[in-house]
Amino acid sequence: MTATPPLAWFEQFGVDATLIRRALSEATATGADDADLYFEHTLSTGVGLSDGVVNRAYTTIDLGVGVRVVKGDQVGYAYTEDLSLASVLHAARTARSIAHGAATGAVVPVGIPHRVADHYPVDRLWSDVELGVRVPMIRRWEAAALSLDPRIHKVRVSMGDSDTHVLVARADGVLVADYRPMTDASVSVTASEGDKRETGSYNVSLRGDLSVYDPDREQRLVRRAVERAVIALSATSPPAGEMPVVLAAGSSGILLHEAIGHGMEADFNRKGVSIYASKMGKPIAPPEVTIIDDATLPGSRGALNVDDEASDTERTVLVDHGVLRSYLHDRISARHYGVPSTGSGRRESFRHPVMPRMRATYMENGPHDPDEIVRSVKNGIYCEVFGNGAVQIGAGDFSFFVRHGRLIEDGKLTEHIKDVNLIGNGPAVLETIAMVGNDLAVDEGGWTCGKSGQGVPVSQGMPTVLVRKLSVGGGRE
Amino acid sequence: MSANQELIDLASSVVASAKRYGADEASVSVSTGTHVTLQRRAGQVEQLVEATSRGLVLSLLSRDRFTSNSTTDLRPDALEAFIKRSVESASVLEPDPLRRLPDRERCGRGVSDETLDQDDPSWRTYTPEDRHAAAQILEQRLHELGGLDVVSCTASVADERGEGVRVLSNGFADGSAGAWFSIGADMTLAEGDRRPEGFAYYASRHRGDLPSPERVAAECVKNVRERLGSRPIESGSYPMILENRISGRILGMLSGPLAGSALHEGRSCLQDKLGSTIASEALTLTDDPTIPRGMGSRPWDGDAFAAKPMSVIEGGVLRSYYVSQYYARKLGVEPTTGGRSNWVVAPGMRSFAEIARDLPRAIQVTGFLGGSANAATGDFSFGIRGVLLERGEAVASLSEMNVTGNLLRILRQLAEIGNDPWTWSATRSPSMLFTDVRFSGT
Repeated sequence: MTATPPLAWFEQFGVDATLIRRALSEATATGADDADLYFEHTLSTGVGLSDGVVNRAYTTIDLGVGVRVVKGDQVGYAYTEDLSLASVLHAARTARSIAHGAATGAVVPVGIPHRVADHYPVDRLWSDVELGVRVPMIRRWEAAALSLDPRIHKVRVSMGDSDTHVLVARADGVLVADYRPMTDASVSVTASEGDKRETGSYNVSLRGDLSVYDPDREQRLVRRAVERAVIALSATSPPAGEMPVVLAAGSSGILLHEAIGHGMEADFNRKGVSIYASKMGKPIAPPEVTIIDDATLPGSRGALNVDDEASDTERTVLVDHGVLRSYLHDRISARHYGVPSTGSGRRESFRHPVMPRMRATYMENGPHDPDEIVRSVKNGIYCEVFGNGAVQIGAGDFSFFVRHGRLIEDGKLTEHIKDVNLIGNGPAVLETIAMVGNDLAVDEGGWTCGKSGQGVPVSQGMPTVLVRKLSVGGGRE
Repeated sequence: MSANQELIDLASSVVASAKRYGADEASVSVSTGTHVTLQRRAGQVEQLVEATSRGLVLSLLSRDRFTSNSTTDLRPDALEAFIKRSVESASVLEPDPLRRLPDRERCGRGVSDETLDQDDPSWRTYTPEDRHAAAQILEQRLHELGGLDVVSCTASVADERGEGVRVLSNGFADGSAGAWFSIGADMTLAEGDRRPEGFAYYASRHRGDLPSPERVAAECVKNVRERLGSRPIESGSYPMILENRISGRILGMLSGPLAGSALHEGRSCLQDKLGSTIASEALTLTDDPTIPRGMGSRPWDGDAFAAKPMSVIEGGVLRSYYVSQYYARKLGVEPTTGGRSNWVVAPGMRSFAEIARDLPRAIQVTGFLGGSANAATGDFSFGIRGVLLERGEAVASLSEMNVTGNLLRILRQLAEIGNDPWTWSATRSPSMLFTDVRFSGT
């Protein structure tokens, strides 16, 4: 898709070089240091099944442009869903009200060519896939779920996808387009036994086309949802208090996301409000620990060819063998620190200004066999399936919710546990990472990161890891 | 304020067009809004966001098949193509005869715009200069009240005014308009490597109802000061006391299990509990969409059913579920309403301070950090921050602790409700005291 001219997609909405040039002139007319236009068109579709009937479908069209004017570290922002010249110029005048000065100089011609990466190649757009193609797929998943276990009595399945086209036009003349596919599938079941009822679900969210749904993935989607509901029927709450915690490979990356990822977003550090603000270049974890935030993982939910302010993306090393190496930068923070952007400038949509954000955050493999890690723990818990997480950037306290796990007793996985919150302090927990496994897995689920009211898709991953001490919110008396 | 005729006309034309393409029934909502957020930090404007926004939602039934669709591309040709595709998309589905548009006789306005009083006329005269001045004063107060250990503080003001209309093919057509205003502050202190943070935030329908910048700044400073020296204490059972602004979080766990969808899918811990005692008799909870200037007030609900107050819990007894027309048909019951409006908790007799003074030792939870609840079982586990109180006096600042329990048990452990309902959000809850709550720390 990257070979087509950047303007090609948006011409159908009346967007051309003239409109862009006039809007950027208007935006920079009172002395901006930087300005950009972010055009976005998203077409989403989906179908859902409940009570054995494929009984709902949706389509969503979201079209608009955001105009940003930057003066020093001040940001003026305006957006509109109306792409007419008058409306875009009005937005540009609104956004520039932050700046009071003379025009910064002649506006350069629009359209300096810029080649972007291709981290999510697809054979066809989702909008070219007939809606009806999805119906037999979700039917198949429902039938499989019901056949796996007699205790399953309700199944809900949904499948959705979107084509997002973005176009970033910058005041320095750079014009970059990107096509961003996304597909989501979710299976959710209710199991019952006697008077006990539990739910289980599994979801997949990836930047890819229909080929994402290979037989292995379809089977995993159904089987995991069923397993989670059935296992929960006999699971209990663990004991409370501080104890060793083993995090299973995969979505345990939520620990990195909360314990350090947010704290490495450079806007927080520029303002001095992150607990990591004074730790650059210093050791913060054992040498086994290397933490990456990566926009380049092919087809992952967090992958980005180019960020939302036209910076090239990359694989950013946050922590290199225990030493803090880089923050996550957008253009504003990169200018503040005098470094290149890490391509982390993201926004939820054209309605939102850019901020430094994570993409796919994971820990590199360490030397240990996962079984060896579990065997090393006398008494503790093993965490496998996660819900939400949260962090206080400044205090460094973070928490995450464990839906499913096991007790570890004398180095063995024993009883199933469920629904427990874990809490700790980011830097303190990183220091107590005792063993890192050799089985890194990046989760395929639909994680969405929230910050200042903006949600963006992210991925997370982890090898099996032992943390010496976390506070476990168990309910066992 | 009468409905915006231009929007009604647009919505009506979309309904007509959908029927022309083959829809049997259609429902269209159109909304527009103007939003401003202004944020100041370090003596200057940090961010100013302003926009006028619009959108349209079309739900339809075609031969018993249901689709829901939305667009922001309202150019006539694009809209026509959108409607056509929305109707066509129904053809791939299977019939779901229970899905109907709402019965006309239930649709309507339950309360007048005059009574709701949501459209503050002063919004029209609120100038950019006013917004800048409001944020500037708040930022000044933060700097005056903060100390030398302040690393950063932010002052924000935001407001929005929107108009919306709803047109159904059953003949219902009406609209409403409303505004809201907010003022918020956050502050971060230096404490060694740690950067404890605190905030204060208020929102209201009328600008004149917002608290003064002095009050917002003072509360923000108090909240962040209270975080200094925080640490976990020993795991165990403690009385838990919650201030009004935060007690809604415990009640909020009821939302999931009260929903008709959860009951239908067998994932509600409140299944078959209608008419049973589920909470302490101190708890009386009403859903009231008709409160003047209420943040969750509305003239009709998602089904366009006329708004009316509904008893949810009365003296601890469960009186109503949240059942939309669709789930009412599935469950074979009468519909109530599909979604929450304002939650009003009947207040008790004493203030937070009076309640706290009687407790030899209690944990006051001042904020939640992550955690979740299982709607099917009621089991919950949340991270918390708080203060250890002895006879109402703060003796330690708490962090890195969890609170864990079960919704149905903790509602019975509700020992007392304060006389101080929080009116700045749709959950109007007073302070609350719960006995024997399980906390995990060290």
